Amino acid sequence: MSEFALEVKSLSHVFGNYRVLDNINLQVLPGQIVAVVGPSGCGKSTLLKAILGTHPPTSGEILTDGMPVVGPNRNVGIVYQNYALYDFLTAEKNVSFGLKLDETSLMMRLFFPRQYFARRRVHFEKSRDFLHQVGLADACGKFPKEMSGGMKQRVAVAQAFITRPKIVLLDEPFGALDEAMREDLQIMLLRFYQENLIAKREGRRPEYTILMVTHELNEAIYVADRVIGLSRFHTQGEQGAAIVYDRPCPVFSPDDPRDFSKFVEQREELRRAVFDEDFIKDRNEHVTFWKELGTLANSVGAIR
Amino acid sequence: MIRRPVPPWLFWLLAIGGVAVLLGAYEIVSARATLKNSLQTTIPSFEKLGEGFKQIFRAQGLPENPKPPMFWVDIRATLWRLVIGMATGVAASIVVGILMGAYRWIEAPLSPVVMFLSKIPPTAMMPIYFALVGTDQRMFTSMVALGIFFSMTQSIYQAVRQDVSDEAINKAYTLGASEMEIIYEVIWKQILPKIIDGIRLQIGPAMVFLLAAEMVVGNAGLGYQIRMQSRVLNMSIVYVYLAILAFIGLIAEWGLATLRRKLCPWYVD
Repeated sequence: MSEFALEVKSLSHVFGNYRVLDNINLQVLPGQIVAVVGPSGCGKSTLLKAILGTHPPTSGEILTDGMPVVGPNRNVGIVYQNYALYDFLTAEKNVSFGLKLDETSLMMRLFFPRQYFARRRVHFEKSRDFLHQVGLADACGKFPKEMSGGMKQRVAVAQAFITRPKIVLLDEPFGALDEAMREDLQIMLLRFYQENLIAKREGRRPEYTILMVTHELNEAIYVADRVIGLSRFHTQGEQGAAIVYDRPCPVFSPDDPRDFSKFVEQREELRRAVFDEDFIKDRNEHVTFWKELGTLANSVGAIR
Repeated sequence: MIRRPVPPWLFWLLAIGGVAVLLGAYEIVSARATLKNSLQTTIPSFEKLGEGFKQIFRAQGLPENPKPPMFWVDIRATLWRLVIGMATGVAASIVVGILMGAYRWIEAPLSPVVMFLSKIPPTAMMPIYFALVGTDQRMFTSMVALGIFFSMTQSIYQAVRQDVSDEAINKAYTLGASEMEIIYEVIWKQILPKIIDGIRLQIGPAMVFLLAAEMVVGNAGLGYQIRMQSRVLNMSIVYVYLAILAFIGLIAEWGLATLRRKLCPWYVD
């Protein structure tokens, strides 16, 4: 088992003559919630698709738990903004879909119905437990068309995590939701983070490792324990976007008040470093996560 | 006002009224024709239609050597051809349509061919079937099968492209699905209601091809009988056959709609 849940090594991506991403290096520890922010068109989606394995990078390497990514596979989970649930499955079957693919075969489904249904019963139980955990105990039998956006996104999150992938990518997960829903789901992610801390304390490997793309700076800092900024506004900007910001950020517990004033300074720093076209700096100026990690006594240290 | 709601009792009254007007008008036209020529059979009265109805269920041939009633002979021939032909055509189009929607390298060579051939009216292709397949049972089934194959393939392939998002497929990969599993567990299940609706829509055209072929070369079947009886102006039988065709269509439509509701409760159109 590798020390890192995700490793991106000198990844670059070029579309024709246009250089999108330049020499991205990134290591994510198990149990981290990493937010990725950046101006639109800076290559966040390209990076995500490369990690997912659907669009391989022009050069560079991606490892999940030490294994190279050669295509979409069950080490990397994904939650899309548009939910992408399976219309023909109820919430509980959507969530247990991965378990079905993992633990039963076509042979078994066709020729050993008793074994198959016995195993499926266990799956449904697990799936209902998970739905209960994300606050959807009543919606197990509902089809996606009968659910609201917030409910669908919870189902999608449960669906991605139930097979225990090494890392789950959230692509603008709450972009289509109204403010109240958005808060609920952010708190759900903070709960996952608390469970990671418990697991770490008990010497287990944390289960929820997340890389989340978002356009909301407050959301990024509030939910994540580490923020990464991608942009072209650095001295070698014509080479493509690079990681120009990589710092730890304060950790909230689900019960803490949502007090964004606590991190106004970091938010301003992040905004300037990533979004300000006139602030051209060395690309490594704000990439200090690993240096700071040693000196930090906060939760990131605990995760480590 | 457009789409002004009508109270249910009035709606039903008007619905029944529509049928009553049709039947009444027919009776008047029929009575006037009979007044002109008491032996006319082109617009038979309801009484004559009733006789025709009885006649098609009456055993044929001599009493000591009875043959089955003509209706059973015809309907068996026609339905058998229709069912075998449609089953073959639908099965083939499901396989080809799904593969075209799933694999770009299958889509590329086949989509222009399918698009071109689906535009030729199958009834116009009849001489080709006569020449290549002959005029026996196989000719009818292959005509129905090929007649619906191209447009059905086209619609299944479109359904796969439109209803199954890249996201759904990529996500299935991240949950550990193999290609076979994606085809069966994601693509097939997602487009099943579209397939059932497609079959429902193809019954009409399939009937057209089959009855046209039966009228030209059959020796049994609803199309054959309609042509034979109309030649001798036995319209009392022709009209009864037409009504039966309408009922077959209604039953098939209702059956497939029920099947879709049972198999795909999640689908709302």
